[in-house]
Amino acid sequence: MPSTPPTAGAGTGQAQRTHIEPMPRVRRGWRVFLFYSSAVLLTGLVSMLFADLLWRTGWSLAGVVLLCLFMVLFLVIAVGCMHGVYGFMARLSGDRRLTGLKEYRGQNIKGVSTALVFPVHNEEVARVCEGLRATYESLEKTGRLGNFDFYILSDSTEADKWVEEEQRWFDLVRDLDALGRIYYRRRVTNEGKKCGNIRDFLSTWGARYRYFVVFDADSVMKGETVVELVKLMEAHPHVGLVQTVPALVNARTLFGRMEQFANRLYGPIFITGLNFWAQAFGNYWGHNAIIRTEAFMQHCDLPQLPGRKPFGGQILSHDFVEAALLLRADWEVWLAYDLEGSWEEAPPTMIEAARRDRRWCQGNLQHFMVVWAKGLRGLSRLHLAQGILSYLAGPLWLFFLLTFNWMLWSESRTGLSRITVRPWTPFLRVSGTEHAFLIFVICMAVLFLPKVLALADLALDRERRRAFGGLTNATVSAIAETAFSALHAPLQMLWHSKYVAESLFLAGVSWGPQTRTAEGTSWLEGARAHWGHTVIGLVWGSAIWRLDHPTFWWFMPVMAGMVVSIPLSVLTSRTSLGEQTRRAGLFLSPEETAPPRELAALRARMAAEAADGQLTPRGADCGLADVVLDPYVNAMHVTLLREKGQNPAFARALSDLGVGRPEVRALCEKLLAEGPERLGRQEKLLILSDAEQLPWLHRQAWLRPSATLARWWQGQIREYAR
Amino acid sequence: MNATARNNTPGKLAGRPLEEWNGAYSKVESYFHALRMNNRVLLGQLVARVLERAMERSDAEPQRSATELAVEEMDRLVNEWFAQVLQAPPAGAEMLSTRGRMALLLADMPGRWQDQFLRPGPWPEEFVVAMREGYLRAGPDFQLAKMTPRPLDLGPIATLTRWSRLPYVKMAASWVLFGALLVLLFYLTHQ
Repeated sequence: MPSTPPTAGAGTGQAQRTHIEPMPRVRRGWRVFLFYSSAVLLTGLVSMLFADLLWRTGWSLAGVVLLCLFMVLFLVIAVGCMHGVYGFMARLSGDRRLTGLKEYRGQNIKGVSTALVFPVHNEEVARVCEGLRATYESLEKTGRLGNFDFYILSDSTEADKWVEEEQRWFDLVRDLDALGRIYYRRRVTNEGKKCGNIRDFLSTWGARYRYFVVFDADSVMKGETVVELVKLMEAHPHVGLVQTVPALVNARTLFGRMEQFANRLYGPIFITGLNFWAQAFGNYWGHNAIIRTEAFMQHCDLPQLPGRKPFGGQILSHDFVEAALLLRADWEVWLAYDLEGSWEEAPPTMIEAARRDRRWCQGNLQHFMVVWAKGLRGLSRLHLAQGILSYLAGPLWLFFLLTFNWMLWSESRTGLSRITVRPWTPFLRVSGTEHAFLIFVICMAVLFLPKVLALADLALDRERRRAFGGLTNATVSAIAETAFSALHAPLQMLWHSKYVAESLFLAGVSWGPQTRTAEGTSWLEGARAHWGHTVIGLVWGSAIWRLDHPTFWWFMPVMAGMVVSIPLSVLTSRTSLGEQTRRAGLFLSPEETAPPRELAALRARMAAEAADGQLTPRGADCGLADVVLDPYVNAMHVTLLREKGQNPAFARALSDLGVGRPEVRALCEKLLAEGPERLGRQEKLLILSDAEQLPWLHRQAWLRPSATLARWWQGQIREYAR
Repeated sequence: MNATARNNTPGKLAGRPLEEWNGAYSKVESYFHALRMNNRVLLGQLVARVLERAMERSDAEPQRSATELAVEEMDRLVNEWFAQVLQAPPAGAEMLSTRGRMALLLADMPGRWQDQFLRPGPWPEEFVVAMREGYLRAGPDFQLAKMTPRPLDLGPIATLTRWSRLPYVKMAASWVLFGALLVLLFYLTHQ
């Protein structure tokens, strides 16, 4: 189905308007066949070995279940292993990649306009603005700033965040002299969440830009990288989306630094492996990617899924599906994994990482609905299926272990001794225990081979070796990170199992805010998050010990992670430990040993703001107080509201919200007389959305006798007295 | 001798206790602080000017507090000045005030033009241009377009979703599942 050729000059008034035809459907099957056949072959052979082990002790239904689970789980790790193996080989031999297809660096991008969009939702505003500033200044240095506009696209639902965003946006624009270059827009409602936010941007301004680059709240990109992405898109008119591979940076906690180290050390071979089979049928990860506006607008407005939550309704993890829809319309989607200068931050603690997984889990499970959709490319189905499996693997592993325990219990209940017959494979002259150990060793080898290959890859590259603090440091770090992963994996298994169950039976379960001390997760928060894991580890471990002592030692690594989960979570959240390991040369990443200019500037500014107390949380309703009392904040907020009202869609949304109704004046009176604590969240947002009432509120708050105002206002006005 | 001077009896200013004027001073000063007027000399002058106007009304409006009179005069003074600088037609006080405050912010009054604030004209050309021509744009001109969701045929899933809407299907499915569980349990415990 060839789509309508985009008028590439999406980006009105642009000099060059070329007709772009999406690529014709092509077959690139051999790479996929080779790659996945390797994984299937390995899985088949090892599954035979496992089946043989089960056969030696006698077949049972539980054994069949165990074998099926083993096959699925082993296939998952075999695919992971193949990513490492093929990636390693491709890095040695040179792989077919987008940046190598044709010379693109000389591409003329004069007159090509690109929007850099930062969708935010109640984020840390200072960090968002400083990240944007780093990218802006870096782009300025390329001399191409004129081709780019920046948008902070707010979906924030907290009044204080909204006001802070406006203030910081204005400060940023004034500092950079970027009025008319950096824009700010907040939606009236956050319908459709992030993809609704992007869609709203595209509906309002998308036609002005040929491309747009999506950032996350904590993304930073090097100016040269952004320019290269635009050149890549210009040079490859069949490409609808190019996804960069963001490197994790700026971690300070021990957990964050280990994740960052793993991402930087193992990432390259895995991503090269992914690119080996995906080629032009790559994926989109939601940010740090450039997108052809017209193609996206034509094909990626996501439909609502039929049925109720958790599977029906709005598509939560939109990125995979958007890539699939672009591919369905014959656009290419590439991973530009070799472009440096694309960064993001990782959750600093195990609990934060689990919280993020909670959101992603529901979104990925929902893809079960999409994976069957007609017209999707086979490779899109593979991407979607892998996403689903990455979360289903947790409960499947748990089910595998429980089934094994069930078999053990059944055997012990019979009171009969276990009789092990000779293996089916005649060349295997091993005992039952040795047979099990052999399978265990193979599983471990498959799990750890990519890590070994990543170290070998590092050993072959002098510059990278230096960037990781030397091969010895990197090896020691990799061993320590692997030990941590072994303890962390059982917790992820329990978390993912819980999330899958919640997603299936209790749609919309969410976490409360985390209590973090300046040092990291507090012991109380750690205990609250992990007491269940600890209890499960202790009870399960004791049960296995009672059943069969030798089996207990097999289960020891799994139980250990659960039993030590509280100290593990708390200690790895410590920034002091992160700093100590950094000083010891452990878990170093290239961005730590030689920080790029952009990241160094970002860190310096954030540190300066922290030292000035600008990052210290203010009291509740501080934003509301600012809008009502501060003459400038009030004027700016009202001006932005009035400008927003020019857009018919916004005007309609404001009207739907209740703006302009007489009830709002009554709410304002209540706000003055009784203070903000007597108003609900929606009521405060309604007042803050009314451009007519806010100037009135400002005057009244200052003109009325103090005695007629709520005590809260009197305190707020006193703060201006200094 | 004006009315203010006449009523300056010991312990009083314009017929009111000094403490009341102190409160008025504090409120007016707070507002100028909010406008980032940091220069103490200028700030003192401005507050005194506002209070003088308030004192002139003091005799005529004894039922109103000095603070009320002072903040009203401050509001009036600021708006009159905005109207002159911006050459704005007489409009609603709130509309003018918003525009004026935005202009002050964009012209960087607190940083560059504190001495011009509330001063009678003529003002420096650069200041006037900055005040009159500065405007805040949070976004470029709208270029509205419409994104329409393309239908996505979910194949067998769509059929399943339709089935699940049939009455009693879920109930029947849960009974079948329960039955299967019982069979499984029986099988596993009778090997």
